[in-house]
Amino acid sequence: MQSESARVTTAREAGYRIQYPNSKTRSVKVIALDPASAKLVDEISQEPWNGARFFTALSFSADGEPGATGAGLQAWLQDIAGRTMSLVEEIASSDFVVVVTSAGEDARAVSVIADACALHHKSLVALVAPGEGASDADVSASMAHLRPFARMLVIAHAPDYISAMLTALRA
Amino acid sequence: MLKKEQNDFLCQTDPGTPMGDMFRCYWMPALLSEELPEPDCPPVRVKLLGERLLAFRDSEGKLGLIDEFCAHRGVSLWFARNEDCGLRCPYHGWKFDVTGQCVDVPSEPKESGYAQKVKLKSYPLIEKGGVLWTYMGPPERQPPEPMFEFCTVPLNQTFSSKRIQECNWLQAMEGGIDSSHVSWLHRGDLANDPLFKGAAGNRYNLGDMSPVFEIVENDGGLLIGARRNAEDDQYYWRITPWVMPCYTGVPPRGDHPIHGHFWVPIDDHSCWAWSYDYHPTRPLTDSEVQAMKDGKGIHVRYVPGTYRPLANKDNDYLMDRAAQKAGRTFSGIEGIGMQDASLQESMGPICDRTKENLVGTDNGIIMARHRLMRAAKALREKGVIPPGVDPAHHQVRQAALLLPRDVHYKEGAKEALVAKKGVRQASV
Repeated sequence: MQSESARVTTAREAGYRIQYPNSKTRSVKVIALDPASAKLVDEISQEPWNGARFFTALSFSADGEPGATGAGLQAWLQDIAGRTMSLVEEIASSDFVVVVTSAGEDARAVSVIADACALHHKSLVALVAPGEGASDADVSASMAHLRPFARMLVIAHAPDYISAMLTALRA
Repeated sequence: MLKKEQNDFLCQTDPGTPMGDMFRCYWMPALLSEELPEPDCPPVRVKLLGERLLAFRDSEGKLGLIDEFCAHRGVSLWFARNEDCGLRCPYHGWKFDVTGQCVDVPSEPKESGYAQKVKLKSYPLIEKGGVLWTYMGPPERQPPEPMFEFCTVPLNQTFSSKRIQECNWLQAMEGGIDSSHVSWLHRGDLANDPLFKGAAGNRYNLGDMSPVFEIVENDGGLLIGARRNAEDDQYYWRITPWVMPCYTGVPPRGDHPIHGHFWVPIDDHSCWAWSYDYHPTRPLTDSEVQAMKDGKGIHVRYVPGTYRPLANKDNDYLMDRAAQKAGRTFSGIEGIGMQDASLQESMGPICDRTKENLVGTDNGIIMARHRLMRAAKALREKGVIPPGVDPAHHQVRQAALLLPRDVHYKEGAKEALVAKKGVRQASV
């Protein structure tokens, strides 16, 4: 008699998979950490997305310096329409967070976002876009800023990789 | 998540498909040397990339990989007699040499030259490191021979096996770059398998089930670094290389041999999972080789006389629920190779990636797919030779090491990630 495993792994059986959605829409927040990556994020935001939201600037008060958490975290995001949003509230309503930085730019602000992610137990994915002319030292410096905070750190050489990744994650 | 057309693009490797064209840029493992052990030994049926072929070693020891079917009436030449430097079809006596050239048509006068006008498609077949490799692309683009370290060390330092896996190549290969499953699916084997146990690094794996990842592109593919916390302000890094399109390395453990895989498409619904073990600086011990032959480590036990795993879908992979419940195995399946294969085959012949829900830590898989698609398109549209063809790209080595927390592994492990003759692997 044919085993259960043999019977259910045929191409024909694959046609009987349940055709209902197996997940809900994610709330993905994509945040640029510097002006160069803001341009990139702004371009990506023009593509059709499944609810992802894009932010091109981050600011924070003195009380919200890296290391501050909880009520001490005072930081704001600017979306692509120029509206100002509370970082903490945006992170709180997200499923996961993607930050983008350009190699050689100052990425230390990631710590503020990481604080908010830690506060609300959200995963942080960090992408370094090397861009033209970036040296290995630039890339290494950016990664050093991001490493302590990101669950996944990626150097995205291909210009379309960030879009591809967000699509793969159903952003 | 992939769109259906993207999934089809990546999974289909028959002649004329974009990925099929790309696979035909590379040397690929086709058979083990042991399958053609001596001149005039029996020929072996081979199916690769959706093409039915026949491999044989002629009277002078020359290797051939030719169209399986006789040009006369379409008989399988597996039934042929391997004699006097050629395969002679038992039906009407037509004979073919290792290049596929017909050298005798008994019904026609030799002087007519008829035989010279008949030639079966053939591909080069070379022997290296106990493996027979073929290149199935255009002759004018044939690259230099493969230089993966496991096939360039002395034969007593390397061991390869293969097993048929009954699913598409991509879902099998993706398991090879999915480092985060190891701490779950294979956790029982880190402590017990003779080719894994005893390494100091194992405790970092078992002590931290949520590694943090860094993905770096290199010339031939990707480096996927998984880090876990270690003492003295260090990270324990396990770095997996992927060389396009289908070579993956497993980071080493202690002084155990280094291992890894090739995932070679047979057709769209099956692939060969090749498993290699080697040590860069010493012969494999008798006990190591015996363990590999016994199906330990990443190897498997076979159905006698075949390369089909003994635990397979026809016997529900010998599922042992008691072992699963007791924690001896996490999935109930014994052996690392079959733990992977059983789950990957359960996805179906071709995984439906329109339904998957990837997370950030799946970026290695996402980037590998992206690079494959990009390279296949560049080849088709602009004739660009894809990464991984150049033998220099094969000189990468997997590594496991401790590094200070502020050091990027691509810098800190720079030397460790290059295969160097006579230099031991970096391993913890």
